Formats: sequence, structure tokens, C-alpha cells
Amino acid sequence: MVKKFLSLQWRQFSRSAAFQQKLIAKIFIGLIALYFIGVFTLMGIGAFYGIKKVSPDMDPFISVNNVLVYWVLVDLVLRFFMQQLPVLDIKPLLILPIKKRISVNFLLAKGLFSFFNVLPLFFYVPFTIVLLINGYDVSGTLLWFVAMLLITCSTNFVNFLINKNNTYFALILGVLATFVLLAYFRVFDVSPYVGSFLYGIYTTYYYALIPLLLFGLFYYLNYKYLMANFYLDGAISKKVKEVQSTDLSFLNRFGAMAPFLKNDLKMIWRNKRPKQVVFFSLFFVGYGLFFFTNSVYEEQYWIKPFVGMFITGGFLMTFGQNVPSWDSEYYKLMMSQNIKYRTYLESKWLLMVVATAIAMLLSLPYIYFGKEILLIVLGAGLFNMGLNAFVVLLGGVFNKTPIKLNDKAKAFSNTQAFSATMLIIALPKMLLPIIIFYIPYVISGSVNIGVVSLGVAGLLGVIFRNQIFKFIEKMYQKEKYKTIAAYNTKN
Amino acid sequence: MISIQNLSKTYNGTTVLNIDTIEIPKGQSFGLVGNNGAGKTTLFSLLLDLISPSTGVIKSNDITVSESEEWKPFTSAFIDESFLIGYLTAEEYFYFIGELRGCNKADVDALLAQFSDFFHDEILGQKKYLRDMSKGNQKKAGIVASFIGDPKVIILDEPFANLDPTTQIRLKKIIKELSENREVTVLVSSHDLLHVTEVCERIVVLNKGQVVKDLATSEATLKELEAFFAG
Repeated sequence: MVKKFLSLQWRQFSRSAAFQQKLIAKIFIGLIALYFIGVFTLMGIGAFYGIKKVSPDMDPFISVNNVLVYWVLVDLVLRFFMQQLPVLDIKPLLILPIKKRISVNFLLAKGLFSFFNVLPLFFYVPFTIVLLINGYDVSGTLLWFVAMLLITCSTNFVNFLINKNNTYFALILGVLATFVLLAYFRVFDVSPYVGSFLYGIYTTYYYALIPLLLFGLFYYLNYKYLMANFYLDGAISKKVKEVQSTDLSFLNRFGAMAPFLKNDLKMIWRNKRPKQVVFFSLFFVGYGLFFFTNSVYEEQYWIKPFVGMFITGGFLMTFGQNVPSWDSEYYKLMMSQNIKYRTYLESKWLLMVVATAIAMLLSLPYIYFGKEILLIVLGAGLFNMGLNAFVVLLGGVFNKTPIKLNDKAKAFSNTQAFSATMLIIALPKMLLPIIIFYIPYVISGSVNIGVVSLGVAGLLGVIFRNQIFKFIEKMYQKEKYKTIAAYNTKN
Repeated sequence: MISIQNLSKTYNGTTVLNIDTIEIPKGQSFGLVGNNGAGKTTLFSLLLDLISPSTGVIKSNDITVSESEEWKPFTSAFIDESFLIGYLTAEEYFYFIGELRGCNKADVDALLAQFSDFFHDEILGQKKYLRDMSKGNQKKAGIVASFIGDPKVIILDEPFANLDPTTQIRLKKIIKELSENREVTVLVSSHDLLHVTEVCERIVVLNKGQVVKDLATSEATLKELEAFFAG
């Protein structure tokens, strides 16, 4: 039976849409995966020696254990937003003569082979080897290694639980929030305790029983939960929530665009994928904190408009990038209804402009890093509104990957929309702000001139938007049949 | 109203549709039957310019559908679930279609009131998104949405499939009433010969992309169709 399951899984994997993409997309996804694998491996090898070099009198093993709790936290958050739960696939098995017990166990075991669980191995394995080379106690180190794997797997199962059950979600969120707040206000910091406990596994073997018990507990909770809900109307099928109708008639002032705007807002609010994407776009606002706090970039003026473009362009990059795929589920309706392509595109543009304006407002605190920085960020924002929004819409012409609105993106199949043309079209929106800022800046030697030229470029886009829209519309019309056909294929 | 000339559609060398000519006068109720793969949905998709013809043209009210978008204001259709917006409630969906077709809420409400029988209390006021409704109820919503905004051409692909018997009977009545005033041209496809013969005054049989029969519906039509498909 398990053999049959495995062969099903293999087919699902090898025939999945991700595998049947164009070569360039495969290479791209492969490169991203390799990048992470590389980073983790290097960390695994380098962590020990790195820490030793920085603080020679500390045991690097203890230091690593002390920060591991943060890693587990970050891991859990990332999983919550990115990891696809292996749930729906089991549906066809419901009425086949297979014991529920086997299906549930298989389902849970299958979830363990997620990229999220494999990736930590690339850290833990080299790190453990380094420990062994450096003369750490063999059985203690190996026990610690096993315990770490158990903790990774427990995180995996905790994520299942909080994804499916609001009670667990509230409970775990509450516990975590309490610890984080306590640590933040320096009342009580749990991380050294966790650290010394983790180190304790190495010194006191029977401590390892606790991760084992945790793993067992979370596995059992999942098992129980799935067994109880192993019906079509249980956890496996999507929950049907009672709907609150929302009144968005205040948007009617936008005339012909109003129905689309109202629809797009509902689309974002009521579907998992776009909600996730818009949520992520909020993080872009904080992107500047990485750069402006780092003195290395202080004199690198060319990079500042690039950063500004990211700060104000989160929505543009995440949501805009996938136009018109957001409407892929009902694209045939859109194409046969009484709709002018032009109005449809304009409404998407307006949405991006408003989102950029909001991001610009949110980026006002960057004044903390100086008036200059803020001006560059705002200039890049204007550029995003006036030109980049169109570049993004133009890129959408070649966007032929349907989006399942109510499915969360799988980590690493999120790049589905990547293709050679998409990459080429993504370049100008990153490079243009740099060029338009940097050349006038170098010539005039004044940041203000650079900012003004960014703003003027954006303004020109707004002024000539009729011509631009006409051009984009023509492109969309030309690709219409191909797009409909592509959205029609189910993956 | 609709004129089809030398229409063909070829995918990778396989011709899936090849029609010399079909003329559909205004107000006719037109039925399309044929086995799977006969080309029914292909024809309807061509009518709505969702796919491009390999050869030939379709003119709807003298507008070539693959060249101009001017047919959209007077045409509506329900082909499959991809005509529904899953994350809207039925009301929101109807109002959305209404807005696109220049009807305000009151207009839409007035129209929906006529279909309360057809809805059987399962569509309106459900506090449910369309994606969470049963296939049959989704279909009801889609069909009624295609009546919004006073269309002159209505295209329904397999409207009877997935509907319960009561609803099928009510739908037949609705389609008959639509074509009674000779203003609305209704195009319906179906696998159910009985339904089509009851509803349509003209029936065209497609087989492997070709028109093999073009009948004015009479008492003998059902027998003739049954004989054809049994053979």
C-alpha cells in the first residue's frame, strides 16, 4: 500500500506544473533552491569557526544553541505564510478501500518531505560534522542532531495545526507573543533558558526525551485532528464561512472603473493568495532599513533610488506583477462581457497608484535618515506611479500563468510566473529609476536635481497615459486568445 | 442576427470545426446537439471571440466578432464556471454584471424578482460565496446573470446539465418565454435531445465539426434525432 502511495506521489511530483515549465523557469527555481542550500551549508560549516574567531573564549556550540530559538520562531512564521499543507491531495482516496489510519499517517509523513524540512538539514549536518571534527562528544552531538531534527519536524506539525485550527492558532500566537513581549521589555528572556536546555541535550542525554515527546505530542494532535475530520465536509474541504457583504459604493465616483475597483478589493480581501501577496508588499516598506542603517551604502548614491523603488513599489512588484492573472479564474467572463479592455487596465493602474501613494505615506518616517533619503524615496514613488506601473502592466501581457486565488502559494512554486520575457520586462523597472536619478545627479552634483528628474519622468508618464494605455491595450488584444487558452488549462 | 461563413477551427492540423454557412435570424431559438467533441463549445467560443477562427467569419448583427468589440453590449453567455466570480456572493455577482451592462441595483433586483421560482430560495440571501455553492446552484446563478442587461443574443452551453428536474422544467419555460417576443436570439446546446426539441424551433446537429442536420423542429424531430444518434 505504501508503495502505491509512493508511486502516486512520484507521479504527482514529476508531472506537476512546476516540472513542465519552460527550461528557464526550471533553472531559475533551481538556482534559488541552490542558493538557499548553499547559504545554509556555508552557515553550517562556518558558524562554528566564525563565532570562535569573533569571541574566542565562548563555546560556539553554546552560542548557536542560544540563538536557535529565534530560528525556530522565524521558521514557524515563514512556514505559516509559505508552506503548502498536503491536505487536498488525499481526496480521491476517501472511498477507496484503504484504511483511514494509513492514509492519515501517510499524509502526515508526506508533509515531512517539504523543502522547509529538508533545508535545515543542510545546516545541521555540516554543523554536526564540524562539531565532531572538533572533538565534541560523539554520542552527545549525534543526540543533539537528532533532537534538532525532531524540533524541526515538530515545527512542521505545529504549523499544520495552527493553519487548520483557530484555537491552536490563537493559543500558540498568544504564547509566542507573550515571550516576545517579555523579552522585548526585558522582563524575562526565555532564549538563554531554551539555549541552555538545548545545550543540555548534549551534556545530559535524557533531555532529548523532551523534543521526542513534543514531536510525539504534535504528531498525535495532528493525527487525532485529521482522523476526526477525514470527511469531505471536514478539514479536507475548505471551510464555508458566513459572508458579510461589504458596501463599497463610495468607490462609485470612479465611474466606469468603479465595478472593477470594487471587485479587486473584494478579490484581495476574500482570497488567500492575493491577501498573502498584499501582506508581503507591506514588508517592502521596511526594505530601506537594511540599506540606510548600513554605512557602506552611505556614499553609494546610485543604489538609493533603487531602494526607494522597492520601498514604495511593494504592491507594484507583488500584485501588479501578476496582472491579469488575478482574474484568470473568470477570464472568459471578462473577455466576453461588456467590458472595454482599456477600463479594465485603467482600474488596475489606479489601484497601483493608490497603493504606491499609501506606501509613500508610510515611508515618511524615513526622514529619520535625513531629508535627502526621504526625497529620494518619494521621487522613486512618483516614478513608480507614473512609469513603473505601466511597465508592470506591459509585463502582464506576457503573463500566462493562471492563479488559483484561494490556494496559498507553495514555497518555491511561487515563481511560476517567471519566464524569460518576464525577467526581461522586470529589468527596466529596477534599472530605470537608477539611470534617471544617477545621470542628472552625477552631471549636476545635486541630489535634488536627481529627485526632480525622477518626479518629472513619473509626471510625464501620467500626462501621456492616454497614448501609453492605447499601446498597452493593443498588446493585450493581440495576446488575448493565447492568454484565454493558457488560463483555461488546469494545472 | 448571426451569420456564419466558411468557419473552421484547426488545432495542430486537426480540424475540429468546419461550417460552410449558418444563418440565424433574429429572435430564433437555436439548438445545437452533438456528441462529445462534435464542436459545440468550440462554436460558442468562436461566437464569443474567445478563440480565433482559422478561416471564415462570424457576424453578429453585422459586426465581425473577431475584429470589433461592438457585439459585447448586446451579447451575453454562460459557457462554464469560468463565467462566475467565485469570491462574490450571488447578489454581488449579479450587481457586478449589472454595472457592466448599465443596469443599476433596482433594475437588477426587478429582473431577479422574476426568477424567484427558478432560484428556489437557494441563490439569493445565502451569505455564501459562489465558489462554495453546489454545481447546480452555480449554474442557476450563471444562467440568470446572462439575462441581465437586456441582451439580444444569449448563448448557453449545456444549460440543463447539473440541474435538478424541477429547475430543468422551469428553465425550459424561461427559454421559451425569452424567444416568444422575437427580440432575443437564444442559442442553446445540450446532450438532452428531449429538452432541445421542446425549447428550440431549430436544431442543428454537429458531428466531428460538421453540420450533418439542420431541422425545423416538428413532432417528428425527436424521433429523427434519436434515430441519428442511435445509428
